[in-house]
Amino acid sequence: MQISNRIKIGLLMVCVVGIFACTKERRVRYEVVNQQANDIVIDKNKAKTDRQYISILYANLFQEALPINQQVATQNVIQSVGDRALVYEIILSNYMNKSGVILPPVSEMKDNPEQFIIDTYKRFYLRIPSELEKSFFVNFFANNPNVTPELVYTAFAASDEYIFY
Amino acid sequence: MTRKIKRKQFIKKAAALTAGSVVLPYILPSGRLFATTPDPKSEFVVYVLFAGGVRQQEAVLQGYLHTSQDNFDSSFAGNIMPNLLKGDLPTKKIAFGTTSPGGTIGDTPIPKILNTPLEEQGVLFKEVRAVNPGHYGGLNSLLTGNSSVAQGLKVRPNFPTIFEYARKHLGLKATETWFIGNTITNSYNLLNGSEHPDYGLAYGANFFAPTITFGSQGQEVLSNAKVYHPQDELAPMYKMKNFLDNAFRVKQGQIASIKNTDEEKNQIKEFVRNTFQKKAAGQIAFPPVSDNGDMVTLAYAAEVLKEFKPKILVVNMTAVDVCHGNFSSYLRALHRADHGVGWLWNYIQTQIPEMAGKTTIMLSPECGRNTNPNPIQDENDWFSYDHSDRNTSRVFTLMAGAAMGSTRGTFSDTWDFSNPGAFTTDNVLTIADIMGIKDKIPPGFMYPGARSLFDRI
Repeated sequence: MQISNRIKIGLLMVCVVGIFACTKERRVRYEVVNQQANDIVIDKNKAKTDRQYISILYANLFQEALPINQQVATQNVIQSVGDRALVYEIILSNYMNKSGVILPPVSEMKDNPEQFIIDTYKRFYLRIPSELEKSFFVNFFANNPNVTPELVYTAFAASDEYIFY
Repeated sequence: MTRKIKRKQFIKKAAALTAGSVVLPYILPSGRLFATTPDPKSEFVVYVLFAGGVRQQEAVLQGYLHTSQDNFDSSFAGNIMPNLLKGDLPTKKIAFGTTSPGGTIGDTPIPKILNTPLEEQGVLFKEVRAVNPGHYGGLNSLLTGNSSVAQGLKVRPNFPTIFEYARKHLGLKATETWFIGNTITNSYNLLNGSEHPDYGLAYGANFFAPTITFGSQGQEVLSNAKVYHPQDELAPMYKMKNFLDNAFRVKQGQIASIKNTDEEKNQIKEFVRNTFQKKAAGQIAFPPVSDNGDMVTLAYAAEVLKEFKPKILVVNMTAVDVCHGNFSSYLRALHRADHGVGWLWNYIQTQIPEMAGKTTIMLSPECGRNTNPNPIQDENDWFSYDHSDRNTSRVFTLMAGAAMGSTRGTFSDTWDFSNPGAFTTDNVLTIADIMGIKDKIPPGFMYPGARSLFDRI
């Protein structure tokens, strides 16, 4: 008899909880505020280590990771030369001479120089160029028809901003 | 009349004012009207950091086995540095040379290169006190003229190096000063410039560690560089780079490196490319016996001298440091260090006409070695030596060439630790003296008591 009452009370409680637990679902929509992901603010104040520089550069140019033995050898060679910028440039020109380096075709640069320079800024500096920067390069390409994506990439990869993050 | 006088006075005053404004900016704090820079004693200086801890007893004291190992009497003494010092070679138990076919290791002394040893072409400071018993501290003192007691490892020198003094006060380009190291270990690659706020890497020297730069690693990383046309390709590339750098504006000191101009960079790149080509063609000039890293380093130092004709080139050797664990190898390395320096001096005089007769060579060990050996024995059962006791302070300095004029002789020939005849820290002031900038070294930057060796002669 006692057991039967307990079951009844239990069932009653389940019903009560069930009745009050059921509420109508409220539909809420969250929206994303548009935000510029690549800003033009130059806020890089930490110098990359030699290892960071060459690893990032190699991955950038070859779209694959730098093998560890090459990384060690390259680090040692960088330390064996007094002018860091100079040795970076020599390493860079070695990379440019290797098969497998991924560069945009010259036609891409000629056809749409503005888009090319925006893409290059994003690729190397992770930011979009300012109007001044864009117009400098567009004019520069127009006045220097022999400039190739390879030379542009070399200038970017050897520049001070690329050494910082 | 009054008008005439006024006009005259006006012209007089105007002339005086103009003259004053021209002259006043040139009056120096010293009261002199113009800064005077004495004429340099020689145009070029080659400074050899010799060569990884040299025990005085085997070097200038010429004791060989007699003063280094038990049971060898004075008949086992002799000079194993015949290119640097006068004195006869040892005649017994020769183990420092090359190995003859079927002979024992090192049984044949290397024929000497210089008919007249450097000692007789200049001056020898026979007993000099090294101010630091360690390699890095010792090298620091040889390059900064300071004792570097607060100098840490893995950091650049606290005080300016001789490169910085020369570049700042003589307005030298980066390619006019070079430091050639034999390795990048032990922070040796940091010795081309200090962290001093008044000098620093803006005035540092170019640096190569040839066994790496031009060794197998350099071959892999640097030798396949693309050749760009200087005007059609490099010039626009540098224009773009300079634009990018101007937009970013790195603050001074943010990039820990020396800086060459674009023109200098092109010259160095060309040099690197040519050097790899010469190496592949077997055209690099080496000392006749080149079986250790020091000799390779000297060979590439000679290439740098030939290409850049720097006002100051410093070359470091360290093979002698094998003495910690193998005395026989130490003797061989010391004999080769002498051989290499003799070869380098001869190369300058015979292969680089622009520097022949206009160069001064200077060398000192960064530290000496102990009086007593450690327990480690080599293949000849000879004991090895570390560097930690007072005997470590005993070294020598040798100077020869253009700056010496007719001055010859041996100085400071008795050892007195408390009152030494010269210090290793004298060398920086001496080179500054040779270059005509001794007076430009700021007070308090040198080790107390340091003087130009010319003032000690």
